[in-house]
Amino acid sequence: MIAFDRRLLTHMNWGLLLITILLFGIGVLNLYSASAFMSQEGMAVTAYYQKQLVWGVMGLGVLVLSMLIDYRHLKSLAWPIFIVTIIALALVPVAGKTIYGARRWLDLGFFNFQPSELAKISTIIITARLLSRSAHPLDWKELFIMLGICSIPAALILIQPDLGTTLNMLLNVGGIILFRGLTRRVFKTCAIVIPSLIPVAWLCMLDYQRQRVLTFLNPGDDPLGAGYQIIQSQIAIGSGQLTGKGFLGGTQSQLRFLPEKHTDFAIAVFGEEWGFIGCLLLLSLFCLFLLAIFTTSRDAKDRFGSFLSAGVFFYFFWQFLINMGMVMGLMPVVGIPLPFISYGGSATVVNLCLIGLVLNVSMRRFVFKTD
Amino acid sequence: MSMQLDPEGYQPPKTGLWLLQGLVLLLFLIFLLRFWYLQVHHGDDFAKKARDNRIRQAQIYAPRGLLRARGGELLAENRPAYGLGIVREDVKDVDATLKQISLWTGVPLENIEKRYKKGRWRTKAFEPLLLVPTLDFSQLAIIEANSLDWPGLEVMTRPQRFYPEGELFAHILGYVSEANEKELEANKELDLGDTVGKQGLELIKEDTLRGTKGLRQMEVDISGREYNSQTLEEPSAGSSVTLSIDLGLQRIAAKQLEGQAGCIVVMDPDTGELYALVTAPSFDPNAFTRGLSHKEWNALRDNPKFPLQNRVIQSVYPPASIWKLLMAGLYLQEGIDPNETVKCTGKYKLGNHTFRCWKKWGHGPQNLTEALVHSCDVYFYEMGQRIGIDKIEAFSKKNGFGSKTGIDLPHERSGLVPSKAWKRRRFNQPWQGGETVITSIGQGFTLVTPVQIAVFISSLLNDNGELLKPNLFKDTPRTVQGISPLTPDQRQFIVKAMQETVEAKRGTARILRTKKAIVGGKTGTAQVMKLKIDANDNRLKNEDLEYWQRDHAWMAAWAKFNGKKFVVVTMVEHGGGGSSTAGPIIRNILNYIYEHNE
Repeated sequence: MIAFDRRLLTHMNWGLLLITILLFGIGVLNLYSASAFMSQEGMAVTAYYQKQLVWGVMGLGVLVLSMLIDYRHLKSLAWPIFIVTIIALALVPVAGKTIYGARRWLDLGFFNFQPSELAKISTIIITARLLSRSAHPLDWKELFIMLGICSIPAALILIQPDLGTTLNMLLNVGGIILFRGLTRRVFKTCAIVIPSLIPVAWLCMLDYQRQRVLTFLNPGDDPLGAGYQIIQSQIAIGSGQLTGKGFLGGTQSQLRFLPEKHTDFAIAVFGEEWGFIGCLLLLSLFCLFLLAIFTTSRDAKDRFGSFLSAGVFFYFFWQFLINMGMVMGLMPVVGIPLPFISYGGSATVVNLCLIGLVLNVSMRRFVFKTD
Repeated sequence: MSMQLDPEGYQPPKTGLWLLQGLVLLLFLIFLLRFWYLQVHHGDDFAKKARDNRIRQAQIYAPRGLLRARGGELLAENRPAYGLGIVREDVKDVDATLKQISLWTGVPLENIEKRYKKGRWRTKAFEPLLLVPTLDFSQLAIIEANSLDWPGLEVMTRPQRFYPEGELFAHILGYVSEANEKELEANKELDLGDTVGKQGLELIKEDTLRGTKGLRQMEVDISGREYNSQTLEEPSAGSSVTLSIDLGLQRIAAKQLEGQAGCIVVMDPDTGELYALVTAPSFDPNAFTRGLSHKEWNALRDNPKFPLQNRVIQSVYPPASIWKLLMAGLYLQEGIDPNETVKCTGKYKLGNHTFRCWKKWGHGPQNLTEALVHSCDVYFYEMGQRIGIDKIEAFSKKNGFGSKTGIDLPHERSGLVPSKAWKRRRFNQPWQGGETVITSIGQGFTLVTPVQIAVFISSLLNDNGELLKPNLFKDTPRTVQGISPLTPDQRQFIVKAMQETVEAKRGTARILRTKKAIVGGKTGTAQVMKLKIDANDNRLKNEDLEYWQRDHAWMAAWAKFNGKKFVVVTMVEHGGGGSSTAGPIIRNILNYIYEHNE
């Protein structure tokens, strides 16, 4: 099963790997600064960046593993993986562990396993599997089957509650469906029905989630409460001005005016210290990263590989969009991290695993036959 | 495992490819614009906001100016006051610590707990929260010795005004305490918790004494903890003020009034400088700077002898026989021959009303000098009646009565010079002839402050008859408020008569007689009760009366000694006879002056 061919390496999307490593490096460097804070004895640094490095090394292992197994095997493994995921997710409300008020973890003894992370991967795989069966634009029947299957993990994650992951997952599915294409009638109907669902979604939201939306619409209403994060993160980024305050020089982060600076708001630290020029470079890297995934999807040998890569594309695209939009005051606060820049162990592993899958597809774009 | 391969070379969906590229472009453009908008377009605004987040400014305390006596002795200084606070984040067991603090300081636990509950929301966890505002040295020592066992305790030092002489200067210096809402509103330089002068010179000289606060800038983190700090403006201490008051003389003067209610003022008739200004009873101004309890305040306020009153300038009395000095001047000016005699039979009749002389059987024929020396009432009744109230009123006012002397102390009163118009306004009644009669001897409606008498006596003694503003400050120019209408000869006549009052055999101020100096004086006994005659038409002696019914004792004197002049005025409330009560007081003060000005 693990057939290794030297040619595989030549066909691999090296650019994607390089950009990934570069982004990860920038993330760790930025975490070093985000972990530093002024104390009366001088500057102190917490261990976040070290932990992130350890997770990164583990993630690279996973990346290599997910590269080695020919992705086409995943097509047949898609259902088993999906079912395992559903079982794990279903176990969470029964046997899960509650941390910070949310029940998201399963205690496996040696570490806390978060089934929703697995769900991110398996949903992408199952979606690619289902969509790759035929080439014509989706009709109603196929669309409802797709949505029906994907809504199972989405619902299980929503009740944890974890709105961010649910949203990310549904948007991914939506993205891949759009990539695949819909019949005109279906598309037109969706374009009318989905916006009209917004009031329903509003009614389903929890109080704190509604509050976030309201705060986003008018952060000045409550500058010390819910609006605080949005205001402070914009001050941090804006005060970086053209050239930034320099590495470790951000006062908003060092003096802890910036909340959540290791995790969801990490890019505000970056923006404060590196300024517009640094942000432009980082943004360009993000775009190159997405384009590298795009080329793999475009040049893939088969539909499954192409859709798999497109799924990964959307997975990262939505996170970039939502996280940066939130930090820069363009969107309500939703707890979605910025890939590679925000601190987060399991997210790092999942991100690198998905990159591994894309590399896998890119390596094997000329391989016609196995077994 | 079967592999399902796509038949011919796979072609990805065209629209899908456009979608992906379009999304990347969209992402790039949205955030490029947003970064530009935040960092370049509004960069300056956000930079300022970030600065405002972390930069705090605080004021630096400026030491308040000192107050000194004539000889340089400290009268008001700034001392560190010790208080006990706790730093919440360092305290292990708050309840136990509060209990221990209560044990050490004797402050009831519930008071400490109340302060703690109130203060914990306003004080940051790393800042000391003041629980006991004042510690004495023994408490301080116990707490310092045990501080290792009780983490989080902090002895807090802050400057506090201290008046080393306590009661002795209370009415001159006044006191400071925390500024109230009104004062904060009126003066933008003041901040909550600042102290300001509330009374006396502390109030009048507030602007001189306060100084200018400095400004410190520091960098803080989100919890307000400080990092770098630098001084932007150095504070400048308030200017010190040296008083004209002589500490030794003030002490001697205060001693004379122990147990009495009254006042003494000693003035230089040439410069207007005050050498002593004493009022009794007094209060401890340090109690006010410490913060007065309700009980202490009520005790001061309800004390029947009014210790808060500065009797020299805030109490008004009938001038009694002291007034005769002024009347003598008026009679001279109105052309009355000083040698003309009036026969005193002890009684003066006007219409069907009889006015008595203080000497029951009369003085016999009296000229002006004799009438002054013996303080004969009948002479003054007669002459006053001749001159009339209108002239008395005008002349009194020209000599400074009925208006404030302008002394640099708050709440001075102006006294009262009655007139026909005043009586109509006040009582809606016409002026009675008898009222002119008693006004001539300083009874009736006339009210004066002791300091007005001192200013008047000084005008008799200085070269140009100047009515000087009583001056509390050393080495400051004198202020002439007015000129006496009397000629130098007329003033000399009165001065001479005062000297006679001391030197003549039956002079009422004979107690002041000395070989050391030339001395003049005049006594006065101000009636509090109108009728003090018993059933047999005998006058009651003061000793037989209730304290509140006894007469006020006045005495005004001057002394020329070693080329210097001194004016001393005293008033003892309910002290009885002028010469018997007030005389020894002035004699003792003058003796001190002789001893210390040789």
